[in-house]
Amino acid sequence: MIELDDVTVYYPKAEEPAVSGVHLSLYPGEFVCVLGPSGAGKSTLIRTINALQPVTEGQVLIQGKNLQQMPEADKRKWRSRAGMIFQHFHLIPRLTVQQNVLTGLFGKRRSFANAVGFFNESEKQKVRRVLEEVGLLDMAQRRVEALSGGQKQRVGIARALMQEPEVFLGDEPVASLDPGTARSVFGILKDVHDKQHLMSLINVHDVALARSFATRVIGLAGGEVIYDGPPDQLDNGNLERIYGKSIHT
Amino acid sequence: MTWLRKRAWIYGLLLAVFTWWSMGKTEFEWSSFREFDDAVTFVREQFFPPSFDIAPNLIDPALVTLAIAFLGTFFALLSAVPLSFAAAKNTAANPVLYYLLRFFLSILRSIPEIVFGLIFVVVLGLGPFPAVIAILLHNIGVLGKLISELIEAADPGPQEAMKSVGSGRRIGNLFAVVPQIWPNVLSHYFYRFEVAIRTSLILGFIGGGGIGQKLINDFNSFQYSAVTVEVLFIMLLVIVVDLFGAFVRKRVI
Ligand SMILES: Nc1ncnc2c1ncn2[C@@H]1O[C@H](COP(=O)(O)OP(=O)(O)OP(=O)(O)O)[C@@H](O)[C@H]1O
Ligand SMILES: [Mg+2]
Repeated sequence: MIELDDVTVYYPKAEEPAVSGVHLSLYPGEFVCVLGPSGAGKSTLIRTINALQPVTEGQVLIQGKNLQQMPEADKRKWRSRAGMIFQHFHLIPRLTVQQNVLTGLFGKRRSFANAVGFFNESEKQKVRRVLEEVGLLDMAQRRVEALSGGQKQRVGIARALMQEPEVFLGDEPVASLDPGTARSVFGILKDVHDKQHLMSLINVHDVALARSFATRVIGLAGGEVIYDGPPDQLDNGNLERIYGKSIHT
Repeated sequence: MTWLRKRAWIYGLLLAVFTWWSMGKTEFEWSSFREFDDAVTFVREQFFPPSFDIAPNLIDPALVTLAIAFLGTFFALLSAVPLSFAAAKNTAANPVLYYLLRFFLSILRSIPEIVFGLIFVVVLGLGPFPAVIAILLHNIGVLGKLISELIEAADPGPQEAMKSVGSGRRIGNLFAVVPQIWPNVLSHYFYRFEVAIRTSLILGFIGGGGIGQKLINDFNSFQYSAVTVEVLFIMLLVIVVDLFGAFVRKRVI
């Protein structure tokens, strides 16, 4: 279980907090979509969960342990158990699909083995399995520059899957994709989530996507949680409070 | 005027004044260009025909020059890559070390090879070895600056991704940054290699061995037709390195 206990984040020199007094408990199996207008603090919130963003006040508890106070080695270990997917994919250029996916193992292996690129048979099998899962097996040896946006994001998902994560963190993982591709990539995420009984926290801009996939929706505005509940109770009144204007869906 | 603002005229005027001042300082005389004829005659009569018969004797010194330039710049590259990571803002682990390194690199860079050469020829004795050290030291400074700037300009996304999979800082940097900067590092490297060939020529003038030493000896003993062949050899070396660099870069991209 992940708990956010009164989490507040100030960026250096900022007057207003980016995230303010957030209380959340996240449980295994939940597929949580975070909605909110630009600047609401969605990215900041998600990045506190794998300590890419330190918190100013409050604490993030991972199985009851304060993440911020963990020694660096334990933070890294936790990050290796949380797969993160980015809006702009953040793949390593010039490497192949397979090489990019293999970097998902880096948190779990020795630096030397990573540097020389030695992978054992079971790890190689795992790459193939993961690539098959996201439908990219036939492109394993292709350079990532030569992929479409949707394919790139599937590499991003495969890299996260390689971590055998307990948690999926997605910072607008489909925002750079066209609506059709976005939906199919989201579908892959959800499938993997269900099959492996993960806990997922995903930022989205698209309310309809959240409605069709989420088991729980969190609405953020001005750094504060405005809505926290099931997607089917997310009515236009709630959306107006989140986005500060009326939204027709 | 639409394209030029008033300030542009002031800059233009300042530039003209500075040019005029520099011409005074350097005793620049337009009328001296008339004596260019003499230079042409001098080259035509003394440097030609080239005495190609000395060519076989130049092969070994030419290879020495190539080896000086290669070894000096290659060792410089090997030292500069790790130093650059500690001297780039986005990958530096320690801010104190970062400033110290930046300072150290700019000192190395600001001392010309010829100064290092003069020192090491005295300390280490005549020959190609001090030339290698001189090129090595100066180029650590040059490549260190260029590569650390490439690192700073690299896309931070992959670095963040490596952090998020739980990778250690060094491995993260290695994988997230090196593939991005590699082609540009190579082109800087080959450019410095080419420059080093010309530099090792100058270092030869002060006893650093190679084809430069041959050239200055022949020049001082008025063997101008031999100098012509030596110059051709140097041009050949530069062209070969340039072509090889282009070939390697094409393979890498
Ligand atoms: N690195 C930073 N330094 C300073 N302020 C920042 C930084 N990153 C974000 N902010 C500020 O923090 C607030 C929340 O930003 P955040 O990126 O979390 O919003 P978001 O909900 O993800 O927005 P978007 O939908 O546009 O991605 C914004 O006001 C933003 O300007
Ligand atoms: Mg964001």
